[in-house]
Amino acid sequence: MSSSGSPSSSGGGGPCGACKFLRRKCVPGCIFAPYFDSDQGAAHFAAVHKVFGASNVSKLLHHIPEHKRADAVVSICFEAQSRLRDPIYGCVSHIVSLQQQVVSLQNELSYVQAHLATLELPQPPPATVTSSGSLPPLSISDLPTITPSMYDLSPIFEPMSSTWPMQQQPRPSDHLFGVSQSSSIGGGGEFQAIAREFLHGGQMSAHQPPPETGGSAPTVIKRE
Amino acid sequence: KSVMNPKRCAACRYLRRRCPKDCVFSPFFPPNNPEKFACVHRIYGAGNVSKMLQQLPVQTRAEAVESLCFEATCRIEDPVYGCVGMISLLQTQIQKTERLLARTQAEITVSQIKHSQNQHSEFM
Repeated sequence: MSSSGSPSSSGGGGPCGACKFLRRKCVPGCIFAPYFDSDQGAAHFAAVHKVFGASNVSKLLHHIPEHKRADAVVSICFEAQSRLRDPIYGCVSHIVSLQQQVVSLQNELSYVQAHLATLELPQPPPATVTSSGSLPPLSISDLPTITPSMYDLSPIFEPMSSTWPMQQQPRPSDHLFGVSQSSSIGGGGEFQAIAREFLHGGQMSAHQPPPETGGSAPTVIKRE
Repeated sequence: KSVMNPKRCAACRYLRRRCPKDCVFSPFFPPNNPEKFACVHRIYGAGNVSKMLQQLPVQTRAEAVESLCFEATCRIEDPVYGCVGMISLLQTQIQKTERLLARTQAEITVSQIKHSQNQHSEFM
């Protein structure tokens, strides 16, 4: 995102991407300047502006410590682009898809661990011994059928469930999964691509998506 | 003096304006849940939400509002990462579970080999 050339601040290198998009003078100390260079920054800011609005993002950034703003901008850009690609679900469809994957993997893990426990027990008298005397090979059809009827993010995001407005609404129905299948979001690769664009010039911190012990992360991350 | 219309939707009450019959917000922001609109307005702004909804087919707007509320709530809870924090968390969980699954499957394979070898040696 930021070129390796001159900083995008308004020190003399012209307006930053945000001010260029907004067609306004880029003042010294512009909140957007460190994060939106005058080239690709304008395109990224266009998405952010369309979804969130410049003043909302400005207010948000002002309330974030300076050393965290780069990460915030990357995540805001990601959400904005997700929303423009999928105006109905934004990046929520990707979250649903990931949660499905987690549930599926955990079910598979439980099954496999139960199978391992069976193997490690002392051999009981064979009740249904096969001719070869060995266990039948596992196959996909042996796995329990997973048919979650609704998604529920509360086990993952428990601290927020008390304030989550969606809890007061009927839960999303099965068709949400269908939407998640068609999500155009590339997930981690997408986010990393955006992060790489921002960090190309090395002007911002090289922070990745929040670590498990991120300071400003919600409580749920600390639970990990 | 404006007459308080108890039938105004939460959005129009928040914005202190009349709630027209074709209000784009009213189907999704009932007056009994003012926090929902406050949350969305804080992050996106009423104008942006209105524009987004108007560009969507009517039958998809309810889902859009729910996802906007969700993302807005995430962003309020975590101003730096928003719901991207949740994506990161889930991806980490997936990676850990995949590693554990691979390890368990390897243990099963080892156990099955040992079992076969034991049976073979018994028959010998």
